[in-house]
Amino acid sequence: MTGTHAKTALWFVVALLLWEGAARSSSAVRDTIASPISILVEYWSNTDLYAPHLLATIRSAALGFVAGNLVAVAAAILFGRFPALEGAFRGVNVALFAMPPIVVGPVLAILFSDHLPQIVLAALVVYFPTMAATLVGLRDIDPRLVDVVCAYGGGPSAILRFVRLRSALPAVLAGLSVAAPLALLGAMLGEFGSGVRWGLGSFLLGSLGNANPARLLGIGFAATAIALLGHGVFAWIGRRAVGAAMAVSIAPERSPDQIALAGKHSWAQRAALAAVALLLPFLLWGLLLRLSHISPIIAPGPIETLRYLVSGPEGADARHELLAALGHTLPLTAAGLASGMAAAFIAAALAVLRPGVTKAILPVATLLQSTPLVALVPLVLLLFGRDTAASVVMAVIVVFFPAYLLLSQGFALVPRPARELVEMYGGKRMKELRLISLPYAAPYVFAAAKLVAPRALLGVMVSEWLLSGKGLGNLLNASRGSLDYDMVWAGTVTSILISVAAYQAVTLLERLVP
Amino acid sequence: MTGERPGRSQREQGDLSIEDVSKRFSARGKFIQALSSVTLTVRRGSFVAIIGPSGCGKSTLLRLVAGLEEPDHGSVLVHNERPQIFRARGELGIAFQDPALLPWRTVRRNVALPFEVLGMPAGDYRRRIDDLIELVGLTGYADALPAQLSGGMRQRVAIARALVTNPSVLLLDEPFGALDQILRRSMNQELERIWMASPTTALMVTHNIDEAAFLADQVVVMDAAPGRIIDTILIPFSRPRSSNLFAAPEFHSVCDRLAAALELCGTAS
Repeated sequence: MTGTHAKTALWFVVALLLWEGAARSSSAVRDTIASPISILVEYWSNTDLYAPHLLATIRSAALGFVAGNLVAVAAAILFGRFPALEGAFRGVNVALFAMPPIVVGPVLAILFSDHLPQIVLAALVVYFPTMAATLVGLRDIDPRLVDVVCAYGGGPSAILRFVRLRSALPAVLAGLSVAAPLALLGAMLGEFGSGVRWGLGSFLLGSLGNANPARLLGIGFAATAIALLGHGVFAWIGRRAVGAAMAVSIAPERSPDQIALAGKHSWAQRAALAAVALLLPFLLWGLLLRLSHISPIIAPGPIETLRYLVSGPEGADARHELLAALGHTLPLTAAGLASGMAAAFIAAALAVLRPGVTKAILPVATLLQSTPLVALVPLVLLLFGRDTAASVVMAVIVVFFPAYLLLSQGFALVPRPARELVEMYGGKRMKELRLISLPYAAPYVFAAAKLVAPRALLGVMVSEWLLSGKGLGNLLNASRGSLDYDMVWAGTVTSILISVAAYQAVTLLERLVP
Repeated sequence: MTGERPGRSQREQGDLSIEDVSKRFSARGKFIQALSSVTLTVRRGSFVAIIGPSGCGKSTLLRLVAGLEEPDHGSVLVHNERPQIFRARGELGIAFQDPALLPWRTVRRNVALPFEVLGMPAGDYRRRIDDLIELVGLTGYADALPAQLSGGMRQRVAIARALVTNPSVLLLDEPFGALDQILRRSMNQELERIWMASPTTALMVTHNIDEAAFLADQVVVMDAAPGRIIDTILIPFSRPRSSNLFAAPEFHSVCDRLAAALELCGTAS
C-alpha cells in the first residue's frame, strides 16, 4: 500500500516538473495552463484575496456539513427503525439524490439571505450519501449479534444501542468522507446562485472574465485541496475506527435503489406507499413555503408553478423557452453520459487484461472522484474554451471516474475460481473476459449509470452557467439575474424532474434486462 | 433418568417442555415445514443433545425455546413460563456456532453484555464476570479484543457470556461446529466441567455424534422434511466423564447406535 502511495507521489512530482518545463519552453503552454511556480507566486502575492474567499466557503461548507449530516444520521435511524417511513420518503430521497445542486442555488437565494443559501445547499448535498451509508450500516449487521441481544429480552432499541449504532460507525465515517468534498461543492454552487461577495465560487465567477490562467487554476487547486483534505480526514478516522477487528469494505456511494428494502407489502400497500412517495416532495414544497410566509410572487408553490407553465399568460413563452433550453442541454448530457460510461467500461475491462493498469489508475481515479466538479471549470475553460465541447468534456469527466471505480469494483468481485477455471482449460485472458468477467460485471453498468446520470446533467449545467451561456444552466442564471422568479422555480423543478426521470428510466431498464 | 446429577429432585415440576410444536417458513412462495408436531420434555438439570441431518429443524427448535421464533402451533414452556417472560430475568443463556461477539468490545465487556441488555448494572457483577472468564480458562485475556483471540478462545468467551447470568437453561447451537476435532474434544471436556459446576439444564444442537455421546444424558435424533423427532437414546455413562471415554468400547457402541439411528433418516417418510 505504501509502495503504491510512494509511486503515485513520484508520478505527481514528475508531472509537475514536466508541466513547469513545458510552460518555461513554450509561451502557448504558459498562456493556457500557467505553471506550477506561477500558481505558487499567485498564492503568495494574493493571500489577502484568497484567505477571506477561502474562509467564507469553508465556513459555509462546514456549517452545512454538520447540519446536513445530523439530519442524515437521524433520518437513517428513523428509516431503519420504521421501514415504511423510508418508503414514504423515497420521493424526497430520490429528488435529493438526483437533483443537480446548481439549480437549487437560485431558489435558496430567494428564500434565504446572507450565507444561508450556501449553508443550506451544502447541507442538502451531503444528506443523501451520509443517510444512505448510515442506513446500510445500521441494517447490514451480524444477525447472530441480534439473536444474542434478543435472547436476553432486548428489543429494537437495545439492538440499536448495543449492535447497530456501533456496527454502523465505519459506514457512517465512509459516508462522511464522501460528503466532505460535496459540502464544499454545495457551498460553491450556492455562491453562484446567491451572488455573495466572499467565497471561492464568487471568486471563480469574478475571475472567469479576465484571462489569468494562474488565478483560475489557483482557485481550482485551492478548492480541490480543501475537498481532498476533508475527504482524507474522515477516511483516515474511518480506517482508525474500523481497525483490525473488522475488515469492512464499503461501496462508498449508493443510489436510492441500493438502500430500498424489498418489503413484504401487498399490492395495495405498495401502491399507496408509491403515491405518498410521489406526492410528498410537492407537499413539503408547498407546506414549507406556506409556513415561511414568503410571498407567493417570489416563492410560488407547486400549483402556482404548474399554472404558470400551463395556463398562465406567459405560459406559451415560458414553455417555449424551457423546451429550447432542454433541446440544447439534454443531447449534450446524453452524449457526455454515453461516452463517459463507455470509456469507463472499456478502461475497467482493459484493467482485467492488464491488472497493473488498475493499480496505476485507481489512486488517480479516487483522487479525482473527490475533486469538486467546479474546481475543474478553470482547466476545462483553459483547454476547451467556452463552447459546447466544454459542456461535453465536463460531463465526461464527472461521469468517467465514479463509473470507472464502480465498474472496476464489479470486475474485481469476479470469483477467482471462476476465472481460473477458464485458465485451466487453456483459455486466454480475452476468452476469460468474454465468458466470465463481462457477464459478472454487467449489473454494475446499471449501478454506475444510476450514480452518474444526475452528475452528467450537473456537469453540463455548470458549464452552461459559467462558460457557454446556453441551455438550461444559462436559462436559470439569466432568470435569476432578471428576477424572473416564476421561471427560476419552473426551471429548477423541471431540472430536478428530468434528473429523477433519467434515474428512474435506468432503474426500469435494469429491471427489464434479466 | 440415568446420568441425572445428584441433589436434583426427579419430581421437580416445571421442566423445559415442547408440546406438539409445528413451525413452517416460506421461501420464495414455497413453504418449508421446519417442524411438524414435535414434543419433547427436558428435565431440569439434565443435558440433552439434538442430532440430525441439515434442515431437520434442530436449530429452529432451539430458537423457539429462546423465544427468537414463535411456533405456528403448539406451545413452548420453560419452567412453566413463555420463553419471552423467562428470558427477561436472565435465566436463559445461549451460544451459537458463530461466537457472535461484539468485535469492538473486550472479552470482559462481551461477557458483561447480558447484564447490560437486561438492564442490570454490570458493575455489580464484576466479580461474577471475572470468575466466568477464569472458569473458561481465559484469565489474562479479559481486556483483549475478539480479533486478538484464536477461534477456540472466542468460543470460550461465548460460553462464558452464556453462563454469566447463572442461567437455569443453557441453549447451545453447535457451539464447537467450527473447531477441529482435537480442539472440539478438549472443549467438550471443559464444557462438561463448567456445566457440572453450575446447576443448569442444557439443550445442545450438534452435527457431531462424538460430542452428543460424550456430553448428553439423552440424545434426541431428528429427521428432515418435515422436521420431527424419530428417536431418543439414553446415554448411560457416569459423570464426570474423562477423556478416556473417547477410547472406550462402550462409548463406540453408543456412537454406533446413534449413527445407526441417523442412517434411518430420510428413509422413514
